[in-house]
Amino acid sequence: MLRTRIATTAKVVITLWMIGVTAAMFLLVPAQQGLGNTGRIIIYHVPTAWLSELAFLVSAVWSALYLWKRRPVDDDRALAAVEQGFLFTILATVTGSIFAKVVWGSFWNWDPRETAILVLLLVYGAYFALRSAVDDLERRRQLAAAYALFAFAMAPLLTFVVPRLSDSTLHPNCAFLQTATCKGITLRANGVGALGETILELRGMRHEGDLVTAVVAARRGGGDATLLQPSYNTHTDQQEAQPKLPGTSFMLVIKQVNGDGSVFLNQQAAGNQSQLGNLRTLGTFLASLLGFTGLFWWLWKLRVNVMALQRDLALEGLR
Amino acid sequence: MTNAICIMAIFFSRSMHAPTDRPQPTLVRASWAVFQKDLRGELRTRYALNALAMFALATVLMVSINLGSQLLASEPLTPLVDAVLLWIVLFFAALTGMARAFVQEEATQTAALLRLHAPPLAVLIGKWLFNTLLLLGLTSLTTLVFGVLMSLRIGNLPLLVAVLGLGSLGLATTTTLVAAIIAQANVRSALFAPLAFPVLLPLLVIAVQTTDLALSGAAWNQALPNVQLLVAYVVLTAASAILLFPLVWEA
Repeated sequence: MLRTRIATTAKVVITLWMIGVTAAMFLLVPAQQGLGNTGRIIIYHVPTAWLSELAFLVSAVWSALYLWKRRPVDDDRALAAVEQGFLFTILATVTGSIFAKVVWGSFWNWDPRETAILVLLLVYGAYFALRSAVDDLERRRQLAAAYALFAFAMAPLLTFVVPRLSDSTLHPNCAFLQTATCKGITLRANGVGALGETILELRGMRHEGDLVTAVVAARRGGGDATLLQPSYNTHTDQQEAQPKLPGTSFMLVIKQVNGDGSVFLNQQAAGNQSQLGNLRTLGTFLASLLGFTGLFWWLWKLRVNVMALQRDLALEGLR
Repeated sequence: MTNAICIMAIFFSRSMHAPTDRPQPTLVRASWAVFQKDLRGELRTRYALNALAMFALATVLMVSINLGSQLLASEPLTPLVDAVLLWIVLFFAALTGMARAFVQEEATQTAALLRLHAPPLAVLIGKWLFNTLLLLGLTSLTTLVFGVLMSLRIGNLPLLVAVLGLGSLGLATTTTLVAAIIAQANVRSALFAPLAFPVLLPLLVIAVQTTDLALSGAAWNQALPNVQLLVAYVVLTAASAILLFPLVWEA
């Protein structure tokens, strides 16, 4: 009785909470610099992506527990986690693809993060295919648990392998994956350096009040040099002009102007700059994360209960 | 049927002499016996050998029929394209052949007999040895035919041999465990590729990249991180297989 009441309360609270988050996403969060309304999608995209990876961990933990203790309910929990994970993976992929199409120009870019979520999608799909191909219940649970663990064992390797597919990432993820976009270079006047596959030469600097403009010649492959003029406001510490690097999806930005007359330059994908500095955005994002986690937990509990009920009914039928 | 006779020949002959306290065979002996049983069964029917060799040949021909004449006329393919094509052929050839080790045991209903007479680890090691041998042979044959037909230019031959060897080891390890899983399912052949692909993806990515390096003649120190990753993959899958196989085998 109490459990039913808690479940009902949770359902109502999570529904209202998610409605609130969706409203805040459009009303409270300011349109982002350079992204406009497209940037709002991160409020949905990032939590769903985190939860789809969390589901993988949850399913591996309960699979291991099933293989150890052989309690059917543990297998139910692992299966429910995979089902939730599949759902959230699709949500994250769709929202991410929409953002990518608008901001980076194509639905799919083979960005490291995109590859990782593709592998996750394939693993979840294979898990369902395996379960549906085994009739014997006991055997189905055992094989599925073993496969989930085997796939999970590959996860650490993937974090090394995936960044190799592309030397640059469009996602802001230097904390997790070290790729070429994380480094950047410091150039003095007439200095030459390489940023990924682009060769940069600092031709000169212009100071107009607080605004510092660097004149940079960018060359890629054997082509002609293009003159780019990124600028930086030293008073507000804001990047102003962000010209597009020829032949890439990235923009050239000044990260820092040093006292000795050198500048720290880096390439940056559109939408890559952190938006969470804004308090309203940060608050909405955290609320969304909390809401989605609650939703995940509630759906997971519900599926586990339904599966237990189905098992009881089947046993009842046998008697 | 040949499988059953082989197992009996190997295990029963010993137990017949001392029915009460049969000495437990050591892991090495038991693994070797399983390997020999598979090898002998294979040499009698030569099913996998024939089918695999023909499959690999057909796939290489399929690739080169369309590209070969183009290659003679215009400039050669880039090393990366060559590497991708080679690994597509190897991947699908492996998927056709590797499932047989366990599926055959279930089909001829000799799996139960094998469970009674050999510890799980011995079965895994024996089958893995057999699959590795088969795959190494297959890889050499395929690469040779591919190299001849596609006029492959190899910049760093030792590196290519190392990649193909380590890649075959990794393929054999993963497919042995996945084959053990699908042998217990209903639709065996359809299930192999979807189950094996996500787990093989890291291996295939690094193998293609390293083959690209080997074909374009990269130095060893340039390819070393990739070779280390290949070794890491083999070790990781082998460790997972040793831990998980008993649970799969006795499911």
